[in-house]
Amino acid sequence: MNSPALIRKWKGCLFLWIPVLLWLTFILFPYGWMLITSLKPPHELYTSPIKYLPSVYTFEGYRLLLETTDFPRFFANSLVVVAGTLLITGVFATSAAYCFSRINFRGKGKFFGLFLATQMFPAVLLVFSLFFIMRKLGILNTRLALIIAHSTFSLPFTTWLLTGFFNAIPRELDEAAIIDGASRWQTFWHVLAPLAAPGLIAGLTYVFIYSWNEFVYALTFTADISARTLPVGLHTFMGEYIIRWDLLTAGGVLTGLPIVVFFMLVQRYLVQGLTAGAVKG
Amino acid sequence: MVRPVNKKERQLPFLLLGPALLLMALIVAYPLLQALRLSLFQVSLLKPDAAQFVGMDNYRSLLKDPLFLRSVLNSVMWILGSVSLQFTVGMLGALILNKDFPGRGLVRGLSLIPWATSGVLVALMWTWMLDGNYGVLNDILVKLNIIGQYQPWLAMPTSLGGVIAANVWQGAPFFAVMLLAAIQGVPLELYEAAYIDGANKFNQFWRITVPLIMPTIMITTMLRIIWTANYMDLVLVMTGGGPGQASITLPVLAYITAYERLRVGQGTAMAVLQALMLMVALSLYLKLLQGKEEGGFII
Amino acid sequence: MKRKAVVLVLALLLINTAFAYGATTVKYLLWLDDPTDRTVHDLVDKFNALHPDINVVMETVPLSNYYDQLLMAISAGAGPDAARFKDWWLGAFHDADLLEDLSPYLEDWPGRDDVIDELWSTGMIPGVDGVYMMPHQFITFYMYYRADWFKEAGLQPPKTFADFLAAAKALTNPAENRYGFGLRGGSGGQDQWLAFMVAGGARIVDEQGNIVINSPKAVEVNQWYIDLFKQHKVAPPSAPTDAYPQVTGAFQAGNTAMMAHHVGSSVMMTQALGREKVGVLPIPSADPAKPATMGTMSGNVVFSTSDVKGAAFKFISWLSETEAMDKWSKSRQGQLPVLKSVAGQEFYVDNEFFKVSIEGGNYAVVWPPLPGVGYVSAYVWQNTMQRALLGEITSKQMLDEIAAALKEAN
Repeated sequence: MNSPALIRKWKGCLFLWIPVLLWLTFILFPYGWMLITSLKPPHELYTSPIKYLPSVYTFEGYRLLLETTDFPRFFANSLVVVAGTLLITGVFATSAAYCFSRINFRGKGKFFGLFLATQMFPAVLLVFSLFFIMRKLGILNTRLALIIAHSTFSLPFTTWLLTGFFNAIPRELDEAAIIDGASRWQTFWHVLAPLAAPGLIAGLTYVFIYSWNEFVYALTFTADISARTLPVGLHTFMGEYIIRWDLLTAGGVLTGLPIVVFFMLVQRYLVQGLTAGAVKG
Repeated sequence: MVRPVNKKERQLPFLLLGPALLLMALIVAYPLLQALRLSLFQVSLLKPDAAQFVGMDNYRSLLKDPLFLRSVLNSVMWILGSVSLQFTVGMLGALILNKDFPGRGLVRGLSLIPWATSGVLVALMWTWMLDGNYGVLNDILVKLNIIGQYQPWLAMPTSLGGVIAANVWQGAPFFAVMLLAAIQGVPLELYEAAYIDGANKFNQFWRITVPLIMPTIMITTMLRIIWTANYMDLVLVMTGGGPGQASITLPVLAYITAYERLRVGQGTAMAVLQALMLMVALSLYLKLLQGKEEGGFII
Repeated sequence: MKRKAVVLVLALLLINTAFAYGATTVKYLLWLDDPTDRTVHDLVDKFNALHPDINVVMETVPLSNYYDQLLMAISAGAGPDAARFKDWWLGAFHDADLLEDLSPYLEDWPGRDDVIDELWSTGMIPGVDGVYMMPHQFITFYMYYRADWFKEAGLQPPKTFADFLAAAKALTNPAENRYGFGLRGGSGGQDQWLAFMVAGGARIVDEQGNIVINSPKAVEVNQWYIDLFKQHKVAPPSAPTDAYPQVTGAFQAGNTAMMAHHVGSSVMMTQALGREKVGVLPIPSADPAKPATMGTMSGNVVFSTSDVKGAAFKFISWLSETEAMDKWSKSRQGQLPVLKSVAGQEFYVDNEFFKVSIEGGNYAVVWPPLPGVGYVSAYVWQNTMQRALLGEITSKQMLDEIAAALKEAN
């Protein structure tokens, strides 16, 4: 008999796998329902009593989505806009956060207030003035307009979040590096950036999802399909008297995937203990 | 202390902050000022040239409007309900995802799905699941004997609760990811030391984890409060503010006023009032969390 | 020298005009009801090929945000030249002087006499001369009923309000989650509500243009409609917020026995339930001698701000000519054609759904072009209807609020 091992096994089940399963159920249930719906033939969408699984699985919704609509184009546009936004926000937010965390200058608090102000209004009430600006800049109907808008509105939170992560890193560390003759850039790149990696990952994930899902600006600045992104594309599947559930659900399922893949790739940098050595130093 | 010493050093803040500030000045400053200005006018988007200056009238009439007051009340419930539940569920999620188990990368990736789903789809799927005639949640709850018969969740005076449920689902992963990242920043040695001192898991969490991730908690909850206050896609699609006025929130009312009632000035005034109320609420919240430290936005 | 210069200037002018003439661009804004359907794209290509001097550029906006986007573009001075348009918006846009009167252009338009006469009024403003919207695609409300259930219960399809209520009561069985009528209290429900209101003998405005939606007659009919849910409980408990997906879903799932809609959903319904189970009949009326229903026009307008009104009119009028009309109406996003030459075709006459709809056109009532209609249909109706259904306000209070909002100038 190996009862302590058995107890540990049971404990592992109770405290690890049950919570994991509950979490997954919570996360995946509505998405799973969407996935099943996307595979149902249209006449099985509404049934009473409810039929959980389709009698025939059909990929017709996916085929129509990819072959007869502009979905692939919207998808590509979304990827371009997200990439541009990630780049701009990533660079600008990191440098601004470094500045807030490591350099003393007057009026810091005011700048934070300014950053916050950008988030205070619902987009629908800013958008007509922004439309005017984008028109003056001559970039309506381009992906650049969206990259600029998305970068602007995702900067404040990302900067603020990163400032918190930089602040958590003891200043003695970069001072030591500077005393050793390292430049600011070297200090940042070799000392701060690796330690703040989890914050950077979290921040960029936020930027990715914000830009990927943003609707109001994407709708207003793109009147034709050349620059249109996914969320607007999904809305076009709802007409006056026609709701294309097949396209909507298939589109919804596909829209979620790039973010899952993105996060699976970057989550490995979320590793505990990177700061461990740092504190001793 | 790293201090600005020479000229180059003194210019550094401008160099580092410059791009971000320039972008904001270019893109946000004008719309914000324009919004403040518009809130003093009676104006329709159809007749932008016929704007009439009315001073504070838009604000005065709002404070007397029962529908506006109702929407403020709903907004408070919407924000408190959504953010507190999102945070709680997200924290549990972060603690789960922080454990080491096979397949963790995949589970972490899948955890982002609700957050990654666009608002309109979340709204449509949840409306479908909560449907009073053929909704799958009704079916499950009846089969589990939790409710006796199907409930028209979104047609009841408590419909805001149904919308909050959808919002909790969509928003919890945001907190899970942010808190997970923050937990990674807590040095392991601290836990080891506490373990040696005989602190149990709960104490470790409460005494070590929470204080150290406090900056992230504050930043994320504050921004989330603002975003939730302005978030209207779910309400708009799921209930349209109804039944009656049961779930109308402030941005929804502002949107309807500006675009359907064609009173942009009044709609904007609502948003300005909301921004003011948020600022007051948030500075109280900051004081509460930071305790003795004097306000300010730096954490 | 001098002469050379003059020739040069003239030549330049000529090239210039020729160039400008060759490139008259018409910006046309529209929503698509089904993005997989390429009919509209094909029509635009065809028009451009037929008219080398005009280049129509389509811009599509999802319907859910169509009105805001149109407003925004116009307020920024970047509005389109022509647009697909609903009769609900006419009042507000006309009030802001944004719509071009089409009557001078119509004088030379060959299709003029082919348009079903009654339908011209959907583009007109009472008391104002002129036509502001080109009729294009029309719908009228009718009723679907479960033919199989009616047969089983030995019921006749109802023609009067009294029969309708009796049938709805007979087919309601909450224990089986089955209800007589799919009342739509949520978004978009004002159209079927109006169908029942006018079928009951109420009107929004009288012949002089006075708002009479809160008249005693209207209050009575509205009370009858509210009581379907409140007193007789022949509508599902979710009715107050049910919108299009819920109402059509419940009918397809077998939760409701009757529902009001129009030809736009007929293919979906017959596919889901089978043709033999789906019956169609005109909206019942209080007095069978005075049938009425609700109709709504999706037409096309030219904006007064456009610099190319002539070309814009050429395009939207071409859309309302026989060939283009026929194609659009038969496409997946098609509604009722507004031309006699098309509506008389076998395709429409032989199809029962189209037939009932087109007959409805003879007595259909549309939302009047008052500036407040957009606001009422987007919000006030829904808000007050739901409160009335839940018993928070009376029928009279509901209609008073609607009347006030209709009168509201902006």
